Amino acid sequence: MVMPDNSDLYRKLSDAVVEMEIDAAGELSREVIANGFDAYEAIDKGLADGMERAGTLFEDEEYFIPELLVCSDAMYAGIDILRPHIKTSGATEKHKVVIGVIQGDTHDIGKNLVKIMLESAGFEVLDLGRDIPPPVFVEKAAESGADVIGISTLMTTTMKGMAQVVELLKGRGERERFKVIVGGGPISQSFADKIGADGYAKNAADAVRLVKAIYEPAAIAV
Amino acid sequence: MSEPLRDKLKPNERLRAYAKEEAVDRLPCVPIVGNTAARVIGARVGEFKGNGKLVARAQVAAYRMFGYDNIRIFTDLYTIAEAMGAAVFYPDDETAYLDSPAINDEKDIASLKPADPQKDGNLPQFLEAMKIALDEVGDEVPVTGALTGPFTTSSFLIGAERLARGIITSPEAVHELCSVALESCLNYAKAIIDIGCTPSLTDPMSSGTVISRKQFQTFSFPYLKKLIDYIHGRGKGVTLHICGNTSKIWDLMADAGADCLSIDNEASLADAKRAVGDRVRLMGNVRPSEIMLEGTQADVNQAVRRCVTEAHDSPKGLVVASGCSLPTETPFENIRAMLNAVREIGWPVNTGRG
Repeated sequence: MVMPDNSDLYRKLSDAVVEMEIDAAGELSREVIANGFDAYEAIDKGLADGMERAGTLFEDEEYFIPELLVCSDAMYAGIDILRPHIKTSGATEKHKVVIGVIQGDTHDIGKNLVKIMLESAGFEVLDLGRDIPPPVFVEKAAESGADVIGISTLMTTTMKGMAQVVELLKGRGERERFKVIVGGGPISQSFADKIGADGYAKNAADAVRLVKAIYEPAAIAV
Repeated sequence: MSEPLRDKLKPNERLRAYAKEEAVDRLPCVPIVGNTAARVIGARVGEFKGNGKLVARAQVAAYRMFGYDNIRIFTDLYTIAEAMGAAVFYPDDETAYLDSPAINDEKDIASLKPADPQKDGNLPQFLEAMKIALDEVGDEVPVTGALTGPFTTSSFLIGAERLARGIITSPEAVHELCSVALESCLNYAKAIIDIGCTPSLTDPMSSGTVISRKQFQTFSFPYLKKLIDYIHGRGKGVTLHICGNTSKIWDLMADAGADCLSIDNEASLADAKRAVGDRVRLMGNVRPSEIMLEGTQADVNQAVRRCVTEAHDSPKGLVVASGCSLPTETPFENIRAMLNAVREIGWPVNTGRG
């Protein structure tokens, strides 16, 4: 008997995500288990690969927010099935990122897209939600052992809250312990520089590059 | 400068003459003042809730302080959605925001009822504000009422993510939702026009940063067009603002019937001029946050000159404006600097490069 080719199945998983086929992503994931393939590899080379391709289409303006959200639904439909089968032994500790929308704002699509893209890129994301007071970012980052704090807003009225997060970290003598990255409609690189943040991302795909650069500076530096 | 620069014409006179391509004293100029008006009268933004008299007092005072060319009665985008059941949170002294949508499931769309502007939510108070402003200064300056478009109102009714997913997974439900949102928009537009004001349309979720051109065509355009057709039928012109990069839908915004496109700072006035300048007046697009809130007066002056250089020769004209509503804490000096830059440039337009 010939073993089904796992790379073919991973390709189909990836395509199901790109094509926004939620049911197919689930069925293919069950096939992965039935065939005894590695669940982690199926996520990494199948579902997450599809999400990365969707992210590229988003950057190329082939896909927009509706497509990206439904792609992520397909990805998570597969992950829900595969996750219980991941062999934990030997799994490396994931880098953790705390993200949220700053207090005074409830626009969270952008933050949710960043979360999706970071998770599909292999980071662990602690999502604080929306309308989050500055001290909560600091407390949650400290207690969760995260290295990166990501803050989002769409409202100019809330931008000062971002600066407060940086100030609070300084006040606790923990500024060096975390990297603070910011993004959202009214935010710019110059604003990030002004408040002393470590980085600015203009969209969700850019946020992934930024976080990767924080963890793997050598890999990104030219 | 020794003498403060003064306007020779009132906004209504200026706009009438400008539309006829007659000589004016300066280009029209509209820093889009929203809740900054609270600062002008020393009020807290939260006091605007349900208080049409205070909104009118603030907006009229702001107009009198700066002398711009349009009063827009506006505090936030949620007025129609709130009147249909969405919950809006009102901080003590900051702009309100959506707390929770009216419904959480497509199955509940049928339970939504079109808003009655005479009694639902805070719509009666906004109408009162428009009426007061019109009575006080309507003979000299246009008084408009902000009207959030059907697609954006739909996003507040069911939640932005649910609406975005619905575009892919249940397009018919999205159409049903947009239809009932449109009914509310039409009711409110009628009420605004009945008291003698003009609706000013804003539709941020229709942005090219959020949805594709095709999705705009399918889910936003048909409803916007019906709304604009109605407003035109009542003899009023329409300014349409959509946030973010709208360059891929400018032609459709013009096709929907808009007479003036308010261009966000994410897009280029020069490009807009080339694309649709012969069909619609352009308005824009000084950066509200980086320049108006954070910049110096010199930054504002330079940004205004850039806008004027890019688009003052646009065939249907230019209104120098901010790219979006100004942040509440925008310094008065920067708003004055915008008007003063336009006054310096004067008429015929001279950006001082020669």
